[in-house]
This record gives sequence, C-alpha cells and structure tokens, in this order.
Amino acid sequence: MKVEIVTHRDGEATVVDYDYQPRVEGERPMVLDVLLQAQATEMPDLAFRYGCRARNCGVCTVDINDKPRIACRARAREGDRISPVATLPVLSDLVVRRDGIARQMRGRLSGGAQGNDLNVEAPEAYHDLTACIECYACLDNCPMHARNFAGGLPADMPEGHELPDPGEGYRWGNPFSLLKLQRIRIDPMTTDAGREAALDHAMDLGLDACVGCPGCKCGVGIDLKGQVVGELLAAAGDRLPDGDG
Amino acid sequence: MMAIDTEWRDYDVIVVGSGGAGAQAASVAAEEGARVLVVSKDPIGCSDTKISEGIATVRASGADDDTEEGLSVNLRMGGGDLNVAAITDAFAEDSQAGYDRLRTQGLRPSIDAERHTPQSLPLPLGGHTKRRSVGHKNSGIAFGHASWHAVIQESRIDYLEDAWLLDLVTEETGAAESAPSRRVVGGLVYDASRGLLVAVRAPAVVIAAGGLSTLFFPKTDTMRGNTGDGYAVAARAGAELVDMEQVQFLPFCLASPPSYEGLCAGEPVTASFLGVLRDRNGKIILDGVYLRTRAECSAAIMRAVEAGNGSPNGGAYLDMTANKKQPLSGPYFMRFLQTCLPSAYNNARQALGKAAGKCEVEWEVRPGAHYQMGGIRADEHGAAVGGDGAGDTALGIAGLFAAGQAMGGVFGANRLGSTALTENVVFGTRAGRAAAETARASRAAPDDAAFAPLIAETVKRFGQKGGEAGSALKLELQRESWDCIGPVRTAARIDRMASLIGEWRTRLDRVSIPVHAVWNQAFVEFAELRNMLETAEAVATAARERDGSVGGHVRLDGRNISAFSTPYSTVVRRDADGGYRVRRVARPRQPLKRLVSYKMQENWRKLQVKMLLMMPKGMQDKKLEKRYRAIMGASGKAPEIVPGGAEGAVGEATRA
Repeated sequence: MKVEIVTHRDGEATVVDYDYQPRVEGERPMVLDVLLQAQATEMPDLAFRYGCRARNCGVCTVDINDKPRIACRARAREGDRISPVATLPVLSDLVVRRDGIARQMRGRLSGGAQGNDLNVEAPEAYHDLTACIECYACLDNCPMHARNFAGGLPADMPEGHELPDPGEGYRWGNPFSLLKLQRIRIDPMTTDAGREAALDHAMDLGLDACVGCPGCKCGVGIDLKGQVVGELLAAAGDRLPDGDG
Repeated sequence: MMAIDTEWRDYDVIVVGSGGAGAQAASVAAEEGARVLVVSKDPIGCSDTKISEGIATVRASGADDDTEEGLSVNLRMGGGDLNVAAITDAFAEDSQAGYDRLRTQGLRPSIDAERHTPQSLPLPLGGHTKRRSVGHKNSGIAFGHASWHAVIQESRIDYLEDAWLLDLVTEETGAAESAPSRRVVGGLVYDASRGLLVAVRAPAVVIAAGGLSTLFFPKTDTMRGNTGDGYAVAARAGAELVDMEQVQFLPFCLASPPSYEGLCAGEPVTASFLGVLRDRNGKIILDGVYLRTRAECSAAIMRAVEAGNGSPNGGAYLDMTANKKQPLSGPYFMRFLQTCLPSAYNNARQALGKAAGKCEVEWEVRPGAHYQMGGIRADEHGAAVGGDGAGDTALGIAGLFAAGQAMGGVFGANRLGSTALTENVVFGTRAGRAAAETARASRAAPDDAAFAPLIAETVKRFGQKGGEAGSALKLELQRESWDCIGPVRTAARIDRMASLIGEWRTRLDRVSIPVHAVWNQAFVEFAELRNMLETAEAVATAARERDGSVGGHVRLDGRNISAFSTPYSTVVRRDADGGYRVRRVARPRQPLKRLVSYKMQENWRKLQVKMLLMMPKGMQDKKLEKRYRAIMGASGKAPEIVPGGAEGAVGEATRA
C-alpha cells in the first residue's frame, strides 16, 4: 500500500513516498501502523506523536488527505497523504506544537467555591462533554481559531503578520476551549459568579465568531454545535452581534 | 556556536510528569506556596491515568465499617507482604481526602443519595474485602480532565510539555551521619518545542513519570511514554529501586491484528466456568482458567510457546466456545462476557471479528505488560530512602521524591483492582507537600558547576555520529526484553539480557543524532533508549536475585515461593561506575492464621473446578445458569471489573 508522508525539517516540507508492507494477509492497517512501520524501516527519525493506540489519549491526531483524524483508529488507504495537523504550527515532521491551546485557558478555569458539598450529581450533559479526549480535530475550519493566524492557517500567514507565540497561549479560542468553559457552566459545583465568568471568558476568546458559523466537528462525536456552541450563544444572547439569529 | 543553547531557571519544586500523580504533586506544592515547574514529555494529563478504566478505590464509599486498618491489610495480603506497611497505611488513611481533591478539580461520580457518598460498584469486587470501588463515566478520561485542570488552573505552576527531564543534578551535603550525604539541586531538561536545554535549579524534585511497560512494546496496553524515565534518572542519581522484578502482565492481551496488538482482551475470570487455554494443536494447556492467577495463565501460554506449540503470533488460544454452546447458560455467559469488562470485550470483537465476538471461535491471546509494581524506594511521603526494612530517609537522597507508578512499596507483588488511581492522588499529594516543605527549609544555593558536566555531555550528543538508529535499537531491546525479562524468565535468559545490555550501551554512543535543536526525534529516541536500558538492567538484576515465582515474577526454572516463607523485597542500586548491585530486605509476614485460611480456600477452589467438569452435561448447564443468575442478578449485567484488578483473577483474590 503506497502512501505519502509529509515530513518537515527546518521549515522545509518534503513529500516522502512510503510503501507499506502488510504484516498479515489482508491486513487493514491503521495510519499509526503505517507510521510505526516507516519509522522501523526507512525513516528511523520520523517524528510523530502517539500514546495509547486505542483512541483514548488524544495525542496522535494527524491530517489524512487534509482532514484531521486520530491516527490509531483511522484505516490507511492506498494513496493517502499523511501530513501534520494544519491548524497548529509544525515542530518536526508530523509533530505540531499543541500547548498554545491549553495555555489560553490559564486563569479562566475557576468556577466553584471552597467548602461545597461534593456529593451532588452532575447532569448527563456534563459527562457528554467530559468525553473530550483533547485531540484538537475540532480546530479544523474554526473561524475563531483562525483569527490567531490572520484568518487562515499557521503555514499560510500573510506577509506582515507574525506567528503568535504558543508559549503565551493563543489570543482566540476554539471549540475545545469553549467546551471546557461550558463544562464549568453546567457543573453543579459552579457558583453563579463562576457561570458568568465562564461566559465572559467565552466572549473574550471570540464567541462572536460562532455567530453564523455552520459548526464544528468533534473527533470523538461530541455534539459541539448543539451542546457547547449553541448553549453559549444562547446564554450570551444580546451581547453578541446579529448573525443568522 | 553550540548546537543547542541552555536556559537557566529557578524553582522550589520540579515535578516530572503530569498524569494522575504529577498533577496532584504540582498543585499541592503550589498551594503550599512553592514555585513549581512541571516537566511533561506528553501533553498535560495525557498519561496512563487518562487511558485507564477510571475506577478508584474510595474507603467507606460502600460500607460504613470499612476501616483504615482493613484496607491496609487488604493491600498487603494482595501484595504477598512485599508492600511497606507504613505506605499501605497511608493509602488507607488518605483515600477519601485524595478522592475529594479530584472532585474539586471536576471529577463527578454518581452519588449514592441514601448514604450521601460517591456511588460504589454494587459488589465488594473480588479481592477487596469491602465495597469500595467507584466507577466513572468516560472512564479514565474523566480523571485526565482533573489532571489537566490541576496543572492549568494553578497560576503558581509553570509547565513545559514536549519536555524530557534528562537527568537530576545532585551534590554532596557534607552533613553528619544522621542526614543524607547527597541532595538534589535540580535537573536538566530538553525542551523540544523551543529547541532548548533548560537547566533548572531546585532543591526538591518529585518523580511521577509513570512506568516501564514500553520495554515490552507492542505487547502492552499502556501509554507509549512508559520508557522507565523515572526509574532511570533516580537510579543514575544514586537512588534505590525496590521490587523491580515485579512487572504485572495481563495474560489475555491481543496478539493480532497488529493495530490491536497488546490491548487487553480479557482476564482469567472473563473466561468463565468452561473457558480453557489451548495450544496450536488444540491440546488443552490449562483448564479452570477463571480460577487461575494471571501468572498461572501467562506461564501456561508461554510454556506452550517455549515448546514450539504456540499460536502464530507467539501466544495461545483462549477457547470459550463451551460456555457459549450450553443451551441454558450460554446466553447468560455472553451477557456476562460483554458486561463485566466491556472495554476488553470491545477490543476483542473489533480485532478478531464477529465470530470471535460471539465466541463461536477461539481467541488468540498473549500476555501483555500492564503495570510496574516496583519502583523508586520511598517512605510514606514519597521521600527517597535507603537502608534496611522500611528504609530510612537519612540514607536516601535529600530532596528526591516519587509518586504514582514511579514509586515502589505500595503494591508489593500484586496490585488490587482500582487502586492505581487512588495511589496517584494519595502519594502525589503527599510527595507534593513534602517537596514544598523541603524547599522551604532549603537555604543553600546550588553550585552551577554541578550542572556543567551534564550540560556539556548533552550538548555534545547533538551532532553525534555512528550510524545506529535509536528507534531500531529500541525495537531490538523490546524483543529481547520480552524473551528474557518478560512474563516468564529463567536464570540463563536474565544473564543473556545482562550481557546484551552491555552491548547496547556501547551502541548507544553510536546513535546518529542530527544537530537541529527543535523536536529532534533522534535525540528523543536516544534519551528514551538510554532510560530503557537503565530500567531493563534494574529489572534484570532484581529478577536474577528473586530465584522463584511470586506475584508478577514467574520463573520457569524456579519453585513457587510459598506464602508461608519469609517475604523479602529486592533492592537494587546503581554504582558510580554504572554497575547494579542487589540485596534483599526482609518484610514482616502476615499472621499464620490468615495464610492457612488462604491455602484452604485455594484448595477448595481447585476441588470445585474438578467437580464442575466431572458433572453430566445437562446438570452442569443447569448449575451454571443458576450461578450466572446469582452473579448478574435482576439487572442481567455482571459487575464491572478492572484489568489488573484482583476481581479479574479470583485465583489471586483470597490473598487480599
């Protein structure tokens, strides 16, 4: 099975053809298997992230034919093009720098009060959101996240713009950061003030970008548009400019 | 110009790892006023905790008479008395407070409205003497969110992800005999995302870097990052490691297809009453599987492989078709299998196909590494110790702490189910607090000269030539680790491993590493391989000293170590010249009465299997239907179990 692996070193992208050798007859390998075999054979220094091989840890996301996929559970197909996730800056080969996302949440996460009774049941929706494995597939086509890169992708920054420093945390949010805030809002342990603060943070991270957006896609099937973005937009109400309503 | 620059930083506490243990250590140390740096090679919170089954031990969650002493004894019986009593006491003392800490970070269990506690699973699972295991929606991922919150929301914590702690830096204290002769002054970090070395001055370091299962990749169900980093850096700093031969292998992991290799497919108990193991000729190599210990199952599989009768992928066949064929009890069996360990069943069904999912055909299985019970030798606050018995901090290294899987002494020779997530928070919290205290008391400014040799040596690695590939050497090491220090061992193989490690060490210096500083994969492979070699040597040295089978350690050429003999732990230590020394440390044995009762229950179990198998078929089926109904009750669902837990192998259960 022939695939293309897009590698990156010192800012240069190279497309490497790799011919996957099935290890058992009729094998239908995952993309991660292809990367592991490439590293074990022709590309010993190939850089890529992975962890649990069972779609739980969320670190092995790569773009397959320009769409984010979780490599350990995405079947490889003849002619697939495997490249780093386009929505984050590349460090090396298929490894992108992820930490600008979590860092933007610093100082935005408190919601509860000390001395709460902990023995309170959380609503089902809380657990729906906790299913997030932080794979960052949701950054794809997100207009809010794109604001960090002048409305496009990190690789296509127009002249006169500098890449933001992920070490400072990105200025503009994304479905993942909104999910974290919405999770705080529906946590029964959160105070009213904490709920308001979470909404303020969502506004500050650019919730207005969601007005009129067709919606985002989750890597593990969470209803981001309905359970996260929709809820936040409804709560923000008049504070947002008019869009599609 | 140097290939890579060095940045200097000052902190009170460095925490290595950001999983269940590291996140707690960092957040507690910060609450205590310390300035904390978390160093994590994977993204924050992406650890074995996140990919676990998400069941935690919370004392008294299910029964009011669940005493601290009861839980502590429970852990030691389970661990074959290799555990340190002060440590199991600490576990029992803090399990509730630790769990509540996770809840302040967003972990939300179901609540038992009547008892006003977290809802515990319905039965006192197998090895636990009480109901005290609390399950969670989204399994370990729910705990992963808590770890993430603990690190991200605390403003006094700085963190580096994509960052490898390469080594600790220590210096002589010049203290009298009552205090440690060496102390931690910091560590050197490779920050891959910025392409820098970071020299961190800090008087306290908490190692919470997870386990070593990647030594056996792909025959493991754990995170890739378990390259033994914590054990290796501690050993190189002169710390002692305890019970390193005690690697827990799950017997029934998948052997194929390659994408699923190593993932857990079941436990002895999920084989149910009529499940047997067969070799490739169809010959039964173990019956009564559901009552066996994991070690017995692993040994049976590996003996078949040794004899040339293994399956194509180096395992054997778990045959549960007899359960399924029973007219009355068959449907009950299928529900039992699907509900008692759902994640494992799903792995098997997806990997092996529909017929296997229906148990119409047998499953190819092979053991896989799951958890390291041994680790850095520490006291009940996670502080490094040396000496005899439970150990003495005055003979340890000042400022060095361990927590989570990196720490030894908690579980001895076997770990009870649902305890690892509690271990993380209990000892993460304790180590974080103790580290902050050490930092407060520390006055001496470190001598930067102590960092110089390590920095120089590391800088030189960038641009190292020699034609070896670190990733390829890792694969060689992994293959040999499986054969020589894996689920079954012999003296000859352990010796072979020791000599191979010597050769690999030489080849390590010939690994080619390009000069670029940002995410240099070859350097990462080199650094991890170096730690894996160190860890493999520690395991091999301890395994050589333990000349019989006990707990996770199975010797094909040795006897079974009786529960009645005097228990001992192995302690290994790395000399300044890089060689490893091993010695035994005596442990107190359980009262004889408890042990006798264990033996009697074991014999009774074995008799039951014989009787069941000798029954006429119709009677057998009726009897089984009755038993399934008793287990699954009105809900028609089996109580969930945890891979690695005592309830998954009832043959081990009464030890607890």
